[in-house]
Amino acid sequence: MRARRVQPIHIPKEVNLPRSQRSVGSRRLFASIALLPLLALAACNSSPSNTPTTSSAIKIGILSDCQGDFGSFYNDDLGGALAVLAAHYGGKATGAKPSDGMTGAKIGGKDIQIVGFGCSDSTANKAIEETRRLVEQLGADILIGPLSGDEGIAVANYAKTQPNKTFLNGISGAQDATLKVQAPNFFRFNPDGAQWSSGLGDYAYNKLGWRTAAVIGDDYAFPYTSLAGFIAEFCSIGGSIPNSNRIWPPLGTTDYSSFVTQIPKNIDGLFVGVGGAGLITFLKQYIQLRGALNTKHIMGNTFWPDPQLLKAIGTPMVGAVAASGIAGDASFPQTQAYKQELAIYPATQADAASVFTLGYWSAMTALGQALTSVNGDLSNGQKALQTALASTVVQGPYGKISLDSNRQAVFDNWIVQITPPPSGSNVPGIKTILRVPKVDQTFGGFFSPTTPAPSRTDPTCTKKTPPPWVGNETPVDFSAGNVQY
Amino acid sequence: MSSRLDVRIVPRAFLVLPGLAVVAWIAYKGSQDAQIFWIVTLNGLTLAALFFVVAAGFTLIFGLMRVVNMAHGSLYLLAGYIAFTLQGSWYGVSGNLLSGTPATVTSWVVPMIIAIIVIGAAGVLMQQVFLRWNQGQDLRQALITIAISVILADQMVAHFGGIAESIQQPATWPDSVSLLGVRYGFFRLVVVVGAALAIGAVLFLVIKRTRFGMIIRAGVDDRSMVSALGVNIQLVFAGAFFIGALLAGLAGVLGGTMIAVQPGNDSAFLLDSLIVVIIGGMGSLGGAAIGSIALGLVNSYADVYLKFGGTDLTNYAILLTFVLVVAVLAVRPLGLFGRPA
Repeated sequence: MRARRVQPIHIPKEVNLPRSQRSVGSRRLFASIALLPLLALAACNSSPSNTPTTSSAIKIGILSDCQGDFGSFYNDDLGGALAVLAAHYGGKATGAKPSDGMTGAKIGGKDIQIVGFGCSDSTANKAIEETRRLVEQLGADILIGPLSGDEGIAVANYAKTQPNKTFLNGISGAQDATLKVQAPNFFRFNPDGAQWSSGLGDYAYNKLGWRTAAVIGDDYAFPYTSLAGFIAEFCSIGGSIPNSNRIWPPLGTTDYSSFVTQIPKNIDGLFVGVGGAGLITFLKQYIQLRGALNTKHIMGNTFWPDPQLLKAIGTPMVGAVAASGIAGDASFPQTQAYKQELAIYPATQADAASVFTLGYWSAMTALGQALTSVNGDLSNGQKALQTALASTVVQGPYGKISLDSNRQAVFDNWIVQITPPPSGSNVPGIKTILRVPKVDQTFGGFFSPTTPAPSRTDPTCTKKTPPPWVGNETPVDFSAGNVQY
Repeated sequence: MSSRLDVRIVPRAFLVLPGLAVVAWIAYKGSQDAQIFWIVTLNGLTLAALFFVVAAGFTLIFGLMRVVNMAHGSLYLLAGYIAFTLQGSWYGVSGNLLSGTPATVTSWVVPMIIAIIVIGAAGVLMQQVFLRWNQGQDLRQALITIAISVILADQMVAHFGGIAESIQQPATWPDSVSLLGVRYGFFRLVVVVGAALAIGAVLFLVIKRTRFGMIIRAGVDDRSMVSALGVNIQLVFAGAFFIGALLAGLAGVLGGTMIAVQPGNDSAFLLDSLIVVIIGGMGSLGGAAIGSIALGLVNSYADVYLKFGGTDLTNYAILLTFVLVVAVLAVRPLGLFGRPA
């Protein structure tokens, strides 16, 4: 390319010209520059701000991912939260999709105003940018979100800088967000990734007879936590997962073949923590390189029983065992009630058995109960609300959810098996086989604020006293109809 | 001239030693487990084949028209979505991974042909509507194509959703084949590599042996002279854009079958094409081939062999891609086969 000689251009300074000759009045220029970010904001934040504001309204912002590996769950997330307002507090949907917004809800006599929806992409910096927009610019009193591991740690840290606002986690599951950050105003009514994996180490060691295993997961905080739960439990009983058997493809990898190649062949089993869109690509390449999945030698984390992913992946997974906070075939009265509540958004209702829908639903349900019990009182830095939240118990569709002293959920986990599709469908089903009772974040002391955060190499594989639920899982069969809530 | 050469010897000397060290390290690791080495090499080469198909179109457009088409990745992804949608709606092929209604050769080939023709036409449309009146204004054209890529990316997320979809390969084709004692994906190894070799050969023949190729070669060297000789250069430009976009579309269908169709692939493959043509030299087909192989192999070796005893540095693998670019540019600022415009 030939470089062109650039002629110096002399522009007379605007301020030196008589006012009549200035192209833009300086005040107008300033105003239009100031308007630009506002316009951008208005564009991002299409619908929800049309609610009339009253001074006493409670302002809620909801933060989720609309891009990245979990972007496809955006309307499930928002729908899970908003359906609670519609079902119990008089909320009216502004449109067919949850992202169209909701108006008219009242809790404890106060109007609920949804100030906006945050759209992140699984990265911490985008989550903080969107959190700031919702909290500092749109004035949210309460934030529900975010969705993903790294984002959760970032938002929990941010919560410490805003002690007079309240934060309820959406569905992010990195252990550090509650165990290490310990923000007094950050509440998580969903399990972390390790809790979701509870029971599987025991199942692999004692039911499937694995002794040496490998793990593979995306290279960020949630899979670290998710696989840490499996590693801690499996190793505590006597299994072995050396560091060379832990494989971490970067989040957003499109070609997993080099990582499949690294999975050792002389192992008894593989625990897969690749999540979201990546799981489909991973399994496809795994099958090409290693042949059909042998479900006695492969297990998955909480993503495996997700309805959207089952639909996309189909029958190759049939027979595999996974763990999840969701018992997809549960038939408690609370399960029916939950599905009924989601009826306002049919697409979200179809994904009722998704952790994403459930996480946002649980947060809004807890918030509704706590706000009702304090009559919508947000005075005194929301202290009354925060105290009420700490002791709130959610009657979830798959069991009760309470909080520990770190404001982290304690719940019953479920071991599920993927079953062949019912006739006339090609989407596999779910059969719950075991209940893992009262799973807490510390795994009975395995994890603590002073233990190293789950990472590519932590926890180390050591034999010690197993978590309290090992050997105490109870077999369940929902088709028999006698499972206790 | 001699002083310029002296200056260049310095970075070369600095690069030879690390280069030898890298080769020695791969040879050492490879000798520990020949089977893994072979699979990793195949991963690199098959990925390189896909990169080549994408980058060949990119470099063709750039070489002739000096347009850095930043929407090239979007064309790649859109083709994948078109083929995926047609497979589902015309032939009822299930979106399920490897289950449900299987695809046949027809239900793979027909959507592919339609997708690549539509994308080729979209490329010509883009060139005629947005780029033709900005001829020669490199920066403006780059910015326009960036804008198009951003708009397309958001529209595709809105329309096709954020979850990865997969174009089904014909069920009559095997999943995997055995080669020198290892099992390897049939589609990757046979179809994608075969397509890349065929495209390379056809493009080579077209550019070296046909009148159209002669005009393209002349146009790369001196556009205004070609125009002055009475060639309808606008028609040639449109033709080049059609072929370039068509290749992006073909790569999109191949990639969507080999890996997946998912948001983010557009920017990933744009970046890969940029790296390939920067390494190989803008506008050179041979350069695109060498650049693709270099990038594919660096990608797959770095993912596996960046382990030194107990220290696992594979999470820095992505950096090595850029080390490769820096190393090539330090020695050959215009890329391996690049020539000054």
